[in-house]
Amino acid sequence: MASERNELTMPSTGRAARAQHLLKGKTWSDRDLKAKIFIFSAALLIMAATVALTVFLIVKGLHSFLIDGISVIEMFVAGEWNPNANPPSFGALPLLFGSFAVTLLSVAIATPIALGTAIFMTEIAKKRGQKLMRPVMELLVGIPSVVYGFIGLTVIVPFIRDHLGGIGFGLLAAGIVLGIMILPTVTTVAADAFQSVPNHLREASLALGATRWQTIYRVVVPAALPSVLTAVILGMARAFGEALAVQMVIGNTAQIPHSLTEPAATLTTMITSSLGETTYGSLQNDALWSLGLILLAMSYLFILVIRFLSYRRRSS
Amino acid sequence: MYVLTLEKEKRIVQPNPEAMETELKVNNLNVFYGSNHAVKNVSMEIKKHAITALIGPSGCGKSTFLRSINRMNDLIPGAVCKGEILYEGINLLDASVDVVSLRKEIGMLFQKPNPFPKSIFDNVTHGLKCAGIRKKDVLENAVEESLKLAGLWDETKDRLKHSALSLSGGQQQRLCLARALAMKPKVLLLDEPTSALDPVSTAKIEELLMSLKKRITIVIVTHNMQQAARIADQTAFFYEGTLVEFGNTRDLFENPTHTRTKSYISGQFG
Repeated sequence: MASERNELTMPSTGRAARAQHLLKGKTWSDRDLKAKIFIFSAALLIMAATVALTVFLIVKGLHSFLIDGISVIEMFVAGEWNPNANPPSFGALPLLFGSFAVTLLSVAIATPIALGTAIFMTEIAKKRGQKLMRPVMELLVGIPSVVYGFIGLTVIVPFIRDHLGGIGFGLLAAGIVLGIMILPTVTTVAADAFQSVPNHLREASLALGATRWQTIYRVVVPAALPSVLTAVILGMARAFGEALAVQMVIGNTAQIPHSLTEPAATLTTMITSSLGETTYGSLQNDALWSLGLILLAMSYLFILVIRFLSYRRRSS
Repeated sequence: MYVLTLEKEKRIVQPNPEAMETELKVNNLNVFYGSNHAVKNVSMEIKKHAITALIGPSGCGKSTFLRSINRMNDLIPGAVCKGEILYEGINLLDASVDVVSLRKEIGMLFQKPNPFPKSIFDNVTHGLKCAGIRKKDVLENAVEESLKLAGLWDETKDRLKHSALSLSGGQQQRLCLARALAMKPKVLLLDEPTSALDPVSTAKIEELLMSLKKRITIVIVTHNMQQAARIADQTAFFYEGTLVEFGNTRDLFENPTHTRTKSYISGQFG
């Protein structure tokens, strides 16, 4: 009797052995182990690639400053980019200006149209928005940038030349092409933002005698604002990094233009247009790597801002 | 304890609801959601400055009936309302009715507290601003008055600029009530306003409704039969889209004429 009670409260080793199949085995079974190795190495590869890319760009990008002796201050302040002159000058200010100018211009063009389209898709014509507009937007995202550049080259550049003067190539053409390019991205993300505004907020506003339009701009848009900002910044990041389409229409002149119709250049167009003309390891080549490093830093900054916005959205 | 006093007060103030003026006269109302016939041939008179409760099991059409009064069913694609809801001589279901003006006069409170993600002040002034009122002192007075009516002024007067989402569930629902009252509605429609609230908050809302009915006609959908018995002057029992029984609350609960009403209020189904 006493021994039996003892067995119930504190099982002896003999009793526990019968339920052995329920206990954790040594480690993973063979099949699980293979899957585990595959998944972990895939994740590891991506992380390693990101870290390697960053480190590589930092090392190459800093080479021109640390070894070749190009002044950091000169690169950010001086207004002349002429690596082939004697002595060469590495002032990236016109390129930085060009990058920021086309980015802001494209966002200024795309944002109002994108928000209007997104509101139309989610608030005005829900059915058509879902069945027609969304697939169209997804299609537009998938069009290669060279096609956008080609259209810019054959339609927008001549239009600007004929109606606004100048040679047509320049900031304005680049801004318009980029604006059209980022339009679908901004629209889709903004439409998702409007759609995620709970319906009971719309009902509450309408029940108070607000019109549909008042409900949209007083309730739906403010409630979706952080996500809409994310949409705009995603568009900015894409515009800032785009090279090909911009290069085809901006004119590729490393100068700070005095008007929107004068040719200019950006960080990305300078890299793509002059990389082929430099030899690996030369001073000119190293300077282009530095431009690449600036681009990388900018894209990290965009990601940080997006992270910050979504963090603030979740905490509020 | 106060429930008892309220009962007494109600009996003294309004001895016979049937003698009162009619605010909303519903004639042969039918509502369809596509092929679903949600409200079937309902006719009833909703009395002015009284509380009318709509009870019945889930899906019996009581919320649909309520939402057809301020035309919220217009928002649902495929919803069709036929029949008449007469309010001040106008059929509210008529296509020529301006729903925006209508909803200013006939306010609504929803099941789930749904304050806007804005400040308490902005929540109360939303309807007024949409109606074109811009003057700051008018808005401030309206906020104080409405919050006092909703019994929320003392709790919020020092933090009107704080987010409405910082309030508790019961406070949020009273804020939504204040937001509706700011429009000075003549009729207030409530769609299970206390089903998401705790008993203390529920009691507060009921108390407020009792004091508000002096100036506002109240129609309340409720799952809670005790709530209907506590506050309503008249009660309507809906079942599968039809109005089974409608009458003075005391008569309906004490002497139901239909067997279905009897079995529902005695808790045999629902």
